[in-house]
Amino acid sequence: MRFQDQTSAPAPGMTGQALAAADAWNEAYRPDGTVREHWQYLLGSLQAFGAEAFTARQQMVERLLRDDGATYNDYGQRLAGRDWKLDPIPLLIDSREWAHIESGIRERAELLNLVLRDLYGQRELIRLGVIPAELVFGHRDFLRPCQGITVPGEQQLVQYAADMVRGADGAMRIISDRTQIPSGTGYALENRMVMSRVFPSLFRDSHVHRLSLYFNSLRLKLNALGPNGGVARVVMLTPGAYNETYFEHVLLANHLGYSLVQGSDLTVRDGYVWMKTLDGLSRIDVILRRVDDYFCDPVELKGDSQLGVPGLLEVIRSGRVVVANPLGSGILENGGLLKYLPAAARHFLGRDPLLEAAPTYWCGDPEDLAHTLDRLPQLVVKTTVRGASYRTTYGGELSAGQLAELGEAIRARPMHFIAQEYLPPSVAPVWEGDAGFSRPSVLRSFAVAGESSYIVMPGGLTRVGQPGAGVEISNRAGSLSKDTWVLASEPERDESPAAGVAGTEAGRIWLGMELPSRVVENLFWLGRYTERAESALRLLRTVFNRLSGANTPDPGSRLMLLRAVTQLTCTYPGFMDESANSTEPREELLSVVLDRDRPGSVAASITALLNAVDEVRDFMSADTQRILNDLRDTMEQLPDRLRHSYSVVPEEELDALVTTLLALAGLTQESMMRGQGWHFLEMGRRMERTLQILSLLRSLWVQVVPGREESVLLETALLSVDSLITYRRRYQQHMDIGNGLDLLLLEPGNPRSVMYQLNELQKHLEQLPNSGESGKLSRQARALLEAGTNLRLADMQQLAAADQGQYLRSELDQLLSRTHHLVAQAATALGDQYFDHTGGPRPLVRGDWEVQT
Amino acid sequence: MKYRIRHTTRYSYADTVSQCHSIAHLLPRNTFYQRCNSASIQLDPLPATGADRTDYFGNHTYHFSVQVPHKVLQVTAVSEVDILGGRQNLSLDFGASCREVRAMLADRSREENLMAREFTLDSPMVQAGPALADYARGSFAEDQSFLGCVRDLTERIFSEFTYDTRYTDVATPLADVIRHRRGVCQDFAHLAIGCLRSMGFAARYVSGYLETLPPPGQPKLEGSDASHAWFSAYSPTDGWCDFDPTNNLLASQQHITTAWGRDYSDVTPVKGTILGGGSSHGLEVEVDVHRVEGAL
Repeated sequence: MRFQDQTSAPAPGMTGQALAAADAWNEAYRPDGTVREHWQYLLGSLQAFGAEAFTARQQMVERLLRDDGATYNDYGQRLAGRDWKLDPIPLLIDSREWAHIESGIRERAELLNLVLRDLYGQRELIRLGVIPAELVFGHRDFLRPCQGITVPGEQQLVQYAADMVRGADGAMRIISDRTQIPSGTGYALENRMVMSRVFPSLFRDSHVHRLSLYFNSLRLKLNALGPNGGVARVVMLTPGAYNETYFEHVLLANHLGYSLVQGSDLTVRDGYVWMKTLDGLSRIDVILRRVDDYFCDPVELKGDSQLGVPGLLEVIRSGRVVVANPLGSGILENGGLLKYLPAAARHFLGRDPLLEAAPTYWCGDPEDLAHTLDRLPQLVVKTTVRGASYRTTYGGELSAGQLAELGEAIRARPMHFIAQEYLPPSVAPVWEGDAGFSRPSVLRSFAVAGESSYIVMPGGLTRVGQPGAGVEISNRAGSLSKDTWVLASEPERDESPAAGVAGTEAGRIWLGMELPSRVVENLFWLGRYTERAESALRLLRTVFNRLSGANTPDPGSRLMLLRAVTQLTCTYPGFMDESANSTEPREELLSVVLDRDRPGSVAASITALLNAVDEVRDFMSADTQRILNDLRDTMEQLPDRLRHSYSVVPEEELDALVTTLLALAGLTQESMMRGQGWHFLEMGRRMERTLQILSLLRSLWVQVVPGREESVLLETALLSVDSLITYRRRYQQHMDIGNGLDLLLLEPGNPRSVMYQLNELQKHLEQLPNSGESGKLSRQARALLEAGTNLRLADMQQLAAADQGQYLRSELDQLLSRTHHLVAQAATALGDQYFDHTGGPRPLVRGDWEVQT
Repeated sequence: MKYRIRHTTRYSYADTVSQCHSIAHLLPRNTFYQRCNSASIQLDPLPATGADRTDYFGNHTYHFSVQVPHKVLQVTAVSEVDILGGRQNLSLDFGASCREVRAMLADRSREENLMAREFTLDSPMVQAGPALADYARGSFAEDQSFLGCVRDLTERIFSEFTYDTRYTDVATPLADVIRHRRGVCQDFAHLAIGCLRSMGFAARYVSGYLETLPPPGQPKLEGSDASHAWFSAYSPTDGWCDFDPTNNLLASQQHITTAWGRDYSDVTPVKGTILGGGSSHGLEVEVDVHRVEGAL
């Protein structure tokens, strides 16, 4: 363990890393190498752990994050979110200094409110020349349709965040403001939950200020904003599972007790916003949004946006829904404002702001432009808008050629660039591998609107720079994060405002009843894909086993087994093709397991399953994440193991996957609320299982084959639906198709028989809203009833009988195919009735606009 | 002069539209030269909600939602407008020079000039650039009267560009208009605006109507008019002055203003989103500008 104690000189590895400027402020150590007072207890305790124990704690941190599914997604990278990284050493801030930061942040949030109101109101700041006209008028995020839009009450920004850096002189300075969808509170919460589990006593004894007040205040504020009377119906609007911070959306929605919805879950009717649910439309009063301003309403903002709600802005204007933060607030993220905010503060408040910002130049100003071009190598250059092409560039890291290029870009569109003096960020201790290092750090601090002013989260989200990652320290740059501990002088009472609890309870009554129909649809497909993957796996492992076993089947039934794989998974042509190689089937079989781009393959079903889970993650229990992690890991390693490792027996590898899928099914069975979501998940599973059994029997039992071969096929089918043992127990060694049909089609006590699925399906259908109380059966109920009746009326022994010379059991084939058709029809009818089929909104543009001639 | 204007927009869809949310810029605003006495919009089918608003630019907008399934949507705007006498006589040849205009625009002490700077910047459909500046340079000289130069630009666009309704649609980029030297009034207005902005001046887009008269001795045909567009240039000494490059005119008593903005996208007559509608749809527009009283 290389943490030094307070008297010794800095240990090697703790200071002087290449990344940190030589004169950077050190958070933990004084220039003479002694430990700052507020770090002494923590570093002393960490010392006591020893390197090995500490590394073990670090691994525990990683495991807990993984179990919680904590990721930060890269756009365009499907499925594989980047793991969220948390350093086990928190950043410490003593409460005296914090008091100063806190009032600075509070003041800044209030100032930004005044600026926002003015820019979308009178524009006095522009008229009086306090802020240059072009800085606002020329900015992409100044949204003219948002003129006059306000949130009820004093505070316009319900949430606000600021990034801060402590410069060499020890003073904290703002480097940027986050105002439209300030992200990071969820990650801060996750960091705190993990840290308090990994270091329970250290956390307790350090008297750390709690975060709960922030979230309770947010809940209170949002509930209070409800414009339509009664308990406010609040939802959280997310762009979807591919958003970078989707993990946080899920975490916050659950923590706050709100439904997580996407734009397509909401609709505007009769001048209100509604959520589409199975029961119909449910009114929404307040939307906590994580969708950028510009995307929120295709009618008035970005015409082709699929992430928003058409007509939303007009509902906001009429005061029937409140969106937090208000649309249009992105204009405050305009970096050029940093330069003019002190003047705005003098204008509105009559004083300079408490917290300074990094000295900023706006290149739209001719003097600033000249200054910037002169001193490029000393400056950090940013664009005034954030977005895909937004980059922070430090002139000091550029070659002469790159500097010239940057200069050109600035000269071409000066209004779009700002430059800031480079503040070498303070360094904080970080645990890497098995030793401590000093790394530059940036603190994001959060504020939420309270009754009269802002409540600042004590602490926040600290990000630290990685070696070689450049000057940008951000989630996007893959930076490591830290929990941030504001140390109280004495233990804090747990203050959870009682009103917050009451509010949530009221909210919960409303929420428990209704789910967006998109969620229900995804649960239904989750059920279907899980079952589809499982039954394919079961058949595949049986086939692998048969092919490699001692009693290899004769060529005829061997081909039937292989074709059953193709038919069950619908991976045509597969073995149905005359030219298919049934003597060397391994490659094709592996493709049916591994080829993600092949619909019907195991990999495709599991990918679809994981996608469906992502859409409904807020309904999954915490334990589910561990199973999903296993599933992802196994799928990632499977190609290598199956293709390149000869010692591996394929069926054993597949066994592991089957077990994981069973665990997933078991967990939902055990931990999911018996609500609509559960019914649809179960119906998806039951319908898919029915279809799979029917396909299997059609491929293996319809064709008439010689007696010995017939028992092989009979056994294979029974084995792959996990009913062989039951069969043997009931019929001993007497292998007979008729008995098999009894067990797999008719037996109501066999959880893997068709009749069992149909009975279960009927029970679920009865629980659905609008399931036809008037005595009239729904289409799906009718189809299932017919399927069940046909089966009951059929004589299995007769269906199984095969006359001499007959090639097919054609009556059996007809029954199986009719049943298959009916169940598929029921699935479609169910979807037609309950799922949302409106498709996305389409803009009336191009050819649809009148040309003025 | 008093006009009654009837502007009908009819959308027909291949498939049923279950819902539509729209905004219309169809009702004339009041201006220094005109007063809108009455204005109303009728919808078929009837909307579930509809509301009058004033937008950011002070234009009269109408927001509406139709919730009943429909295959045809008809929006009819009827308004009566008084044109209040002639427009001021502009000192086209003797006013402030381009240099003076530029200097006054840069002066941050006058609020009106500061606010006009919004219209010197790029907007969604008009991006200043070298091609536009090159074209504009032929009309602007630093020591000449600014409005005289704008008048010259208007004339050049009128004579050097071909009016061609088949050539353009709403999305035709300005670069194509310049390259092919053809377009319709909307393109010519954008072109002039782009030219002015490329030279550092302020210009905005004006949407409205122009009264057309039938050939002598013939009756005027129903629905034969069209919505029209022109541009307005800002002179710190004379204010906003309207020019019509399509007809090589200064805006006259026959120009009726509906709305203005940075470009067409700010004042689109009808825009919005639909749910459903199938793969194709048709758009028909009929406009009647009817003079109720007054003579030129």
